[in-house]
Amino acid sequence: MRTGVFFCQTEDNSSLNIDAIAKYAANLPEVETVQILRLKPLPGINFICEQIKSNNLERIVLAGDIPGYYKPVFTKAVALTDGNTDEIRLASFQEHGTKGENAMDRAKAIVACATMGIPFPLAAVPGGNPVNHATLIIGGGIAGIQSALEIANAGKQVYLVEQTGTIGGHMAMFDKTFPTLDCAACILTPKMVTVGQHEMIRLLTRSNVVAVTGKPGSYRVKIRQKARFVDIKSCVACNQCTEVCPVKVKSEFDAGISLRKAIYIPFPQAVPNAYLVDETSCVNILSGGEKCGACVKKCPKECINLNETDKIIDIEVGNIILATGYEFLDVSKIEQYGYGIFPNVLTSIEFERLTNASGTTGGRIVTKSRVINKKTGKEEFIFSPEGMPPKSVALIHCVGSRNKKYNPYCSRVCCMYSLKFAHLIKEKVPNVNVYEFYIDMRAFGKGYEEFAERIKQEGTFVVRGHSASVAMRNEQMVVRGEDIFNDRLVEFYVDMVVLAVGLVPSRGTEEISRILGVQRDSDGWFSELDYNGSPTDTDKGGIYVAGMCQAPKDIPDTVAQASAVAAGVLGSFTSGKGIGHMSSLSLSEIESRAKKIHAI
Amino acid sequence: MCGTNIAKIVDVEAVAKYVSGIPDVVLAKTYKYMCSNPGQEMIIQDIRENHLNRVVVAACSPNMHERTFRNALRSAGLNQYLFEMANIREQCSWVHKDPEEATEKAKALVYAAISRVAFHEELESMSVNMCPNVLVIGGGITGMTAALELADAGNSVHLIEKDNHLGGNLARIDLTAPYLYSARDLLTEKITRIMNHKQIHVYFESRLTDLTGFIGNFKAKIQSLNGKPGKINKPVEVDIGNVIVCTGFKEFDASRIVHYGYGKLPNVITSFELEKMIRAGRIETKEGKIPKYVAIIHCVGSRSQEFHTYCSRVCCMTALKYAHEIKSANPECYISDIYIDMHAFGKGHEDFYRRSSEAKTLFLMYEKEDRPVIHKASLKDDCEMLIEVNEKLSGELIEIPADLVILMVGMEAREDSHEIARIVNISQDKHGWFIESHPKLEPVATTTDGIFIAGTCVAPKDIPDSVAQARAAAARVLARISKGKIEVDALFSEVMEDRCSGCRFCNQLCPYSAIEFDEVNKHSHIISALCKGCGVCVAACPSAAIRGRHFTDQQVLAQVDGLFEV
Amino acid sequence: MAIRVNPTFIDELDRFGAEDVQLCYQCGDCSTVCPHADDVYKFPRKSMRSLQMGLEQKIETSLEPWLCYYCGQCSTQCPREADPGETMMSLRRWLISRYDFTGIARKFFKSRRTEVMTIFTVALLTGVFLIYYGFSGGSLSIYDGEGAFLPSQFIHKFDLTIGSILLIFLLANAFHMWYLIMVKGTSFYVPWWSYIKQFYQLPWHFFTQKRYSECEKKQEHPFFMPWFIHLGLMLGYVTMLVLVMVFIEQLQSGPDIRWSVHIFGYLATIGLVTGTVYFIRNRLKKNYVQYKKSHGTDWVFVVLLSIIVLTGIIQHIFHRTGLNELANITYVIHLMSVVPWLLRMPFSKWAHLIYRPLAMYFAEIRRDALARQEKMIQSVPVLIK
Repeated sequence: MRTGVFFCQTEDNSSLNIDAIAKYAANLPEVETVQILRLKPLPGINFICEQIKSNNLERIVLAGDIPGYYKPVFTKAVALTDGNTDEIRLASFQEHGTKGENAMDRAKAIVACATMGIPFPLAAVPGGNPVNHATLIIGGGIAGIQSALEIANAGKQVYLVEQTGTIGGHMAMFDKTFPTLDCAACILTPKMVTVGQHEMIRLLTRSNVVAVTGKPGSYRVKIRQKARFVDIKSCVACNQCTEVCPVKVKSEFDAGISLRKAIYIPFPQAVPNAYLVDETSCVNILSGGEKCGACVKKCPKECINLNETDKIIDIEVGNIILATGYEFLDVSKIEQYGYGIFPNVLTSIEFERLTNASGTTGGRIVTKSRVINKKTGKEEFIFSPEGMPPKSVALIHCVGSRNKKYNPYCSRVCCMYSLKFAHLIKEKVPNVNVYEFYIDMRAFGKGYEEFAERIKQEGTFVVRGHSASVAMRNEQMVVRGEDIFNDRLVEFYVDMVVLAVGLVPSRGTEEISRILGVQRDSDGWFSELDYNGSPTDTDKGGIYVAGMCQAPKDIPDTVAQASAVAAGVLGSFTSGKGIGHMSSLSLSEIESRAKKIHAI
Repeated sequence: MCGTNIAKIVDVEAVAKYVSGIPDVVLAKTYKYMCSNPGQEMIIQDIRENHLNRVVVAACSPNMHERTFRNALRSAGLNQYLFEMANIREQCSWVHKDPEEATEKAKALVYAAISRVAFHEELESMSVNMCPNVLVIGGGITGMTAALELADAGNSVHLIEKDNHLGGNLARIDLTAPYLYSARDLLTEKITRIMNHKQIHVYFESRLTDLTGFIGNFKAKIQSLNGKPGKINKPVEVDIGNVIVCTGFKEFDASRIVHYGYGKLPNVITSFELEKMIRAGRIETKEGKIPKYVAIIHCVGSRSQEFHTYCSRVCCMTALKYAHEIKSANPECYISDIYIDMHAFGKGHEDFYRRSSEAKTLFLMYEKEDRPVIHKASLKDDCEMLIEVNEKLSGELIEIPADLVILMVGMEAREDSHEIARIVNISQDKHGWFIESHPKLEPVATTTDGIFIAGTCVAPKDIPDSVAQARAAAARVLARISKGKIEVDALFSEVMEDRCSGCRFCNQLCPYSAIEFDEVNKHSHIISALCKGCGVCVAACPSAAIRGRHFTDQQVLAQVDGLFEV
Repeated sequence: MAIRVNPTFIDELDRFGAEDVQLCYQCGDCSTVCPHADDVYKFPRKSMRSLQMGLEQKIETSLEPWLCYYCGQCSTQCPREADPGETMMSLRRWLISRYDFTGIARKFFKSRRTEVMTIFTVALLTGVFLIYYGFSGGSLSIYDGEGAFLPSQFIHKFDLTIGSILLIFLLANAFHMWYLIMVKGTSFYVPWWSYIKQFYQLPWHFFTQKRYSECEKKQEHPFFMPWFIHLGLMLGYVTMLVLVMVFIEQLQSGPDIRWSVHIFGYLATIGLVTGTVYFIRNRLKKNYVQYKKSHGTDWVFVVLLSIIVLTGIIQHIFHRTGLNELANITYVIHLMSVVPWLLRMPFSKWAHLIYRPLAMYFAEIRRDALARQEKMIQSVPVLIK
């Protein structure tokens, strides 16, 4: 088949040398002409028709990062020259991942397959090798928990590595979940307990993966487990140590709106249900064992040992699942909302903890109240159950999301949880005004649209128009916005502002991607092997991504992905399939395989 | 006493003292944390030393720790069902303020538990075989993914496709949003692998006519229907362990919205018709000239009270894709995109949206219930049609010139979905989508054990999400298979056949259709593997012939009496 | 009646400098941060919207572009970097070309080449004419008085002719503007007396440019004082114009200097110089949002201005130092640049000198009328059946 290869690369790709690939493509069998089209816009239809006629091409291959953008014009050209429009093949570098090692070879292979008219994944199937039946899961959020259970329930060994002192992740912090408004804890904690008690799951909290060696199917993983200073087995969580501990610091679990001691349990339903010591704030540890130590004396079970040291654990696993999740964008760098300056400007997660029944105000939605700090004598603003309930609240969507300066992408969940907040406020605070500023109401999931409608019915004032300014005017916060549908500029006096903060990959993501050699996309999320075909696999054999760490998702999609990953893992046990580096395949291997398929 | 959780309100010692006075109570102990390992150790020891044959723990909710204590019993060599939990946390200490009364209530609760546990029987949970074969209904991208996952893991798969080719709706698409990858390559890869796979049996032009049995042991009748009606050849019958339903969606019939004039105006076409044009490389009006103005209308049949209230989730991105494709093919043509909300939520979507703005697509927003209206343009206009719409962002009533109008038709459940739902016995919501057993934590399981759902037959979703669900379903099945057997909880109901009058009330009532009727000796019979022990039949049976194990009248009544003994 | 959308309009505005407007996804951030947007005049979002949709009718009858002084806050705030500030700027350019009935402005804005060429030709013609006149009447060595190369009386006449041409065009355009905004674009009744009531707006805004100063309130940069400098430039400019048109004899007067006149001349010059230098510097450095993108006409504007100022000063020095030949030559060059400059005025950005105050004036009148109308509506008794 007389083939023409066109490189539609308008902006240069750093890791690829297009000319070299072009040279390679020129020597492929049946290739008549190779053109590099760097100009933007691309040469017109006539030029292409010219090319097709002069070389009377039967097949056209479009190569580039996203050649799909140019397919229609080529299709048209082929149609005009009465060619077969089905014989236009795409060689998309981005689709099949040319970021990792031997990117050039991969790119060449992609082009080669396209010229033979064979889908790249069909030719590039890594060889299998025996698989260790143990699995490592990094991240103990809902995604990690779900895949852990899926695999463990099949009777396979699972190591669940979690950075903090308990599993549960962000979902444990939530109050209700949209759109059904069932309480997050009620559906999560049973799963957590199961994980804690499961004989096939070994739970490693306060742990980080520090090194990974070996090949797909048999990875050797080095894990550093930070000292907990409390013996999980014997601790009965009697809470006496906390009572005597003098140190007070912001509670991570409460998103910093309440205080905890240096020895603490993240939350009552934590798994493992045992206390731990925060070495960064414990007086005794910081002073090298001189000061304090009250908890040690107090503990009736004598299970506190402040001299405990970090452990290094080595394990052998066949598959690794990444479920490292997300965290929230640092809002303080978006000044115009006055976060950190005005006391009652909250981030979404802070509000989530405020409205949570297990939160510091027992679920009462109140504004911060002014207190004088005994030590410093400065005035502070804190949440107290006696605080005044807000008379009016503004919810601002897309804070840092869909914004060229911060997150160019949409965080996918903010619209829905903001609507949920609106509902909760209406429900808990009598005759309160809730204003919601949004750009596009992204209620896409099952039952979401209906939920959005319901919120509007409840009398929440939904403003189509994004507010970019929160100001203080005579002791009251003013939110200025444009009410586009009613064609007016509005200024609302509010007592509380809740910012729907965008999501970013969690802090460890970069390090882990370095340790495992898994690629990340331009926004920092892990990049999957194939956007459509295998959304949960990665370039590296036997390493999978699940949940938020691949891109923002809501809980159902996260859970679906988490289970999907299990399929890959369980499947790999019975057949060595998929276990093997896509990126380790040499050019010649792929070529030969492609030729074989081509022959059939 | 759960730390201070219970002890701070309930005087636990008092309760213990009181309890130890009750007949048949050998010993009553308090411990700070029964659920902790030392606590359990203590229980096990006491059982061994005092040869206890019933155990009651007064602590938190059984949801939390029943399993824990049952394990303790087992390891002490006692049947795990000879145990009862009195919940004095959620039901007492957490909900009461006054210590005295709380303590009294605690006593009552414990007493009740004790009186109940006396009647507990030793039960054994049984297990059934799991047949490794799987039935996959639907040969779209979802079905194919699921089939491959299972087959690659070495199980034989029966794939039913009602068409004469695989690929489903995806086969009608040229490029996929948002990265404009080739849908064709995606399919070719999967189809080639399926066709050459020894473990996968594909039944083209066939449908499932009957499914009997229960989890692990289904029998499926597959009937091939070739073209001519009435001439159906003999059905095939296969043994299978699990079923994955991926029947996908069908597009909304645009002619239902009259004022879009679909079917009347020649140049009003649906998204799938445009796909054909793009494939053929001829994006033209019916008159064969290149359109100057193209209008794309979103949410056709979606997000409206009149037709479907839900969002079809993929149309927005597809519309943007068309904007790109048309612009790329005919750079001189102007595209206006008439939408309600731009749902660009997924990976790469927002960037795609931006790119199409850069390509000078004109985005116009309309109110949900106030749809655009398409008129024929007069001769002096330079366009063929005028779309009149109330533009929300400018607040103007405007008319948009158009030579070609593309309707982004939404997704709806297939008309034969209710039939499948009936055969495999799963439920549908008011839109006809299949209902998952839990919208968040069980997105692919159904209320019927062994039947899984995936892809766009559950709700609209894009390709990656469908594929993810397909694999999720496969994972569930694989987990089951790799265990070989499946545990059935001992808590199921049983019919006392001598008492059964064969009235068949229970047969209809059972939500899990676990009750079948024995035609020979005219009485109902419960398939324990399917029974979840919900007790509906027990309550319904007019002749009290059904008995819920571990929830016998005796036990429950004893518990109730116990409550009032104090 | 539905308004027709014109998708092609956005391409035309591209030439006027609105290159990124298609990126706007209508979040409304710009309007919320704009110090001038209020409940009656909402911009930039709405103006951008009309532009995207190509509602020419709305734009040509709108005042909003003139109410914006391009402080650039919207552009820094914009999440999609659609640059609303620049859009408003290009809308002003488009409006200028719209008000101008000759269509010359349009050509100028659309192609820099035509503009420059015209300027050159006009300059040459003036040069030829002046030189011819000069040698026909006097000698190059005499600067003023008897037998002067370019006697002040002649220059005075010359100035007045040019000035009147300029005035005619300018007034005609201003009238067109009034027609578009107050007649075509105003659906409700405007009482005549509010024209009188609000008249003070005209001089007030002309001489103080108060609104521009309001822009600066939110400027974080301490040395950023475009309002003050712009005011200096503008006042200097006007003074100079008056001097040239009325007191040219005294200004050009021979060796004995008329301080009463010259003092103004010097002040004006200072204003002009600082202004020109400042704005050229910013445009070169692109140091603030509003100077990131410079349209062709902006450059022509500053370059021509600087030439005029320069030649003016040099000529003055030569004259004072008695180097009459040189003085005369520079004078010719000076006039060669002045004439096209003046003639160009009604067709260029320069015209905002009068359009802005007019806009303020009209804006207030409209506001009055609106308020009045609302009062009327409220006063109408509502019948309840």
